Amino acid sequence: MILPIGPIHPGLKEPLRLKLHTRGEKVLNAEIDFGYVHRGIERIMEGKTWQKCIYLSERVCGICSYIHSQTFAEVIEEISDVRAPPRAQFLRVITNELDRIQSHLLANSTFFKAMEHETLFMYMLSLREHAMDAIELLTGNRINMGWNVVGGVRMDAKQTHFDQILEKLTNIEDDFDRYVEIFQQGPLTGLRSKNVGKMSHEEALKGRAVGPIGRASGLKHDLREEHPIYRENFEFKPIWRKEGDNFARTMNRFDEIPQSIDLIRQAIDNIPDGDIRKQVDIGSTYGEWRNEAPRGEVTYMVETNGNLIKHISIRTPSIMNIDSCAKYMLKDVATVPDAVATYATADPCIACAERVAIIDEDKGESLKDIFNLKY
Amino acid sequence: MLNTLKDIVRKSSIHVCLVNTGGCNGCDVEIVALLSPRYDLEQYGIYVHSNPREADVILITGAVTEQWVKKLRRIYTKVPEPKIVACVGNCPLSGDVFNQEGGNVHAPVSDFIPVDAEISGCPPRPSEILEAILAVAPGAIVSKGRDAK
Repeated sequence: MILPIGPIHPGLKEPLRLKLHTRGEKVLNAEIDFGYVHRGIERIMEGKTWQKCIYLSERVCGICSYIHSQTFAEVIEEISDVRAPPRAQFLRVITNELDRIQSHLLANSTFFKAMEHETLFMYMLSLREHAMDAIELLTGNRINMGWNVVGGVRMDAKQTHFDQILEKLTNIEDDFDRYVEIFQQGPLTGLRSKNVGKMSHEEALKGRAVGPIGRASGLKHDLREEHPIYRENFEFKPIWRKEGDNFARTMNRFDEIPQSIDLIRQAIDNIPDGDIRKQVDIGSTYGEWRNEAPRGEVTYMVETNGNLIKHISIRTPSIMNIDSCAKYMLKDVATVPDAVATYATADPCIACAERVAIIDEDKGESLKDIFNLKY
Repeated sequence: MLNTLKDIVRKSSIHVCLVNTGGCNGCDVEIVALLSPRYDLEQYGIYVHSNPREADVILITGAVTEQWVKKLRRIYTKVPEPKIVACVGNCPLSGDVFNQEGGNVHAPVSDFIPVDAEISGCPPRPSEILEAILAVAPGAIVSKGRDAK
């Protein structure tokens, strides 16, 4: 029997149709229907200046909006062969890690909601508000910050800002360990998460899983290691696990939060003085830049022509993660509620994933066929 | 007597259905943040679930993509009377940045279904969303409920 879930469903924030092939309660296989959030953002960007595109790139995804604007700024800097001033780069690290904290907490809260642990769901959301406060303090906005510009950042931060951010981080740390313990040692949370939705190392490689989802299956890969600013100035080691089940994915995200807090502390301790923005003469060539978003690797491939964007292609982590979730994690899950919980641990971000729809007119395809539209 | 009782009940228990018609999900995240203990949506008698058949209020985010053109109307008809529609964010109001050359959106939402409340912002703050729901929903539900009889 095919059981459709979505596009509007209490467990999902975003519209997506999950088709579960079931026998009884057992899930045999899963299919995923995309196309509910396709807005054509790459096509809009073509032929526009970077000032307009950075605004659009932020709106690729609301949860990890920061990293998109940072990657876009960095790819244009790469094309123009300049690097932002050190102080701006340190500020970018601070915001990036704050964004990662809030994104991981939100992802875990969604999983707790899906496995019906309402208490932890509320705890996670209230912890997340501290991180949101810190982001708002630094950048002036909660979600779409508009903080990055090509060649630096828009506003400088004072020592008082840093002091308050450190205070917020201590607020997070105060409760954090207790919440992790509730999840780690609760017998019922263990039943719902351990050995559910397993993805082995080989399957993660085949499905090209990235980010915490890949790292929980033993892919020891974190792009922050290769980013110049992290490599030169920060002590950093990727966190990874072997189990590859729901428990490992959630714990992997939990473990990355203290690491992010540590990175912010390192950044605030060592932040150099100086300019926060540099003038950039934009070059005309092709450039590529990768960054570690909260969900994994995000790539921007941009071709510019003078000040204008000639062609842009964005590759976000969610598309690989959702795909490997459907192919490997959801296979042979014991019950349907577990399948929804497993889907939630893959941390799907549909708005990220949907940008391109290829219509092959030679084969007689039309927009209707691509989106499975039935008029 | 029965009508007064109905009014009281309708005012104090508002069920919300969240419909994302294709935005950047920033607004959806802010609506999730409303559930957190800091804002605590449920103390005002508002309950967010995403079941259109039980909802009083539909919160619409996003700029109506190709897939949603027919489905939005269908979801609207599934919601029982009295119902109100609130648009959260700039996308359902105008299409925001997506409504320009090359974009594949069909904003505004008011082309498809009647809209009662509009909350602008990209995204609006959680407190603004809450304020708007509380300002519009109880009164509108009661008056629409009376009209329906």
